[in-house]
Amino acid sequence: MPDFIDQLRCRLLELGCPADRMRRMVREVAEHRDDLLVAAQMEGVGVAEAEARLGSPQVLAEELMESLRHATWCGRHRFISFGLLPLLLFPVFWLLALFFGALAGYLVCCGGNEITLKNLTANPVALSHLLLVLRGTDYITTGLLFLGFCLLARRSGAGFKWLGVAGLICAVYALFLGWGLMPYTFYLSFTIHPNWLRAAIPLSMLVLACWRRQRVVHEALKTAR
Amino acid sequence: MKKTNPSFLNGVPELLVLRLLARRAMYGYQIVEEIRTQSGEALSFGEGCIYPYLHHLEAEKFVSSRRLEVEGRSRNYYQLTPRGEKRLAELGSEWKRVTAGVARLLGEQYA
Repeated sequence: MPDFIDQLRCRLLELGCPADRMRRMVREVAEHRDDLLVAAQMEGVGVAEAEARLGSPQVLAEELMESLRHATWCGRHRFISFGLLPLLLFPVFWLLALFFGALAGYLVCCGGNEITLKNLTANPVALSHLLLVLRGTDYITTGLLFLGFCLLARRSGAGFKWLGVAGLICAVYALFLGWGLMPYTFYLSFTIHPNWLRAAIPLSMLVLACWRRQRVVHEALKTAR
Repeated sequence: MKKTNPSFLNGVPELLVLRLLARRAMYGYQIVEEIRTQSGEALSFGEGCIYPYLHHLEAEKFVSSRRLEVEGRSRNYYQLTPRGEKRLAELGSEWKRVTAGVARLLGEQYA
């Protein structure tokens, strides 16, 4: 059976504790345990009895995570940060990124050749380059926005439940937000034709994060045994 | 509005830890031992709880921590910050106010 410190480490990993914080927490508790064991040896008390004074490793891990959450605004206000913020930020940042992507793409692909949106369709090379820039911006922005929420969740110790909420919101937006090029205009809108590939970006990142956590916990348990 | 004291019980561990750290910098085990011995073993708790508590105080900038090696053993020492001193003064006066009220209520029999 894993000892107290290994149980604490595994539970912290399961709760999504960032590695640097986990190292510090585990180190402090391990040092406390060492001090307790030295005192127990002098008093003739058993190891189990001395460890019992630290409390349950599971409860302690949850309290340590709570202290981590309490340290950041996002950790204290998880509903706002991972429920409401993606609802507001995703479309705004996505629109801005697409707008500037379109502008940059237009200047790079068509700027020097006096091509306007009106006659862009007559120039297939410029059109394909511009579409490539726009698609790249679209997919990269979707990924980066969700990556931002991943980092926020990690830093604040918000946990996978809230990261999942943010991931689902991002995926729904990614599914139904659309853009297009017309002879006279570049437009952004909600669409009834879902973009499954783009929606798969935040979802696959979420699955990857869960898989990575499972692997880390599994390895920690294996090492403990 | 009349000032209430919701932190009466929640603030007690905070008051104790800040008071101990006002005397000198200490690490977690030392704090727990000091609370245990100085309270005549009247106050005991799951000792691991001290770390979430210290981290919370550190996040609030009431204490700061640094790694120090003393007698060949490296430990995370916590010390009071100026903000922590102010907090200690606030909690101390709140404690006096509340305990005076409780003493008046209970009377001499429980004094």
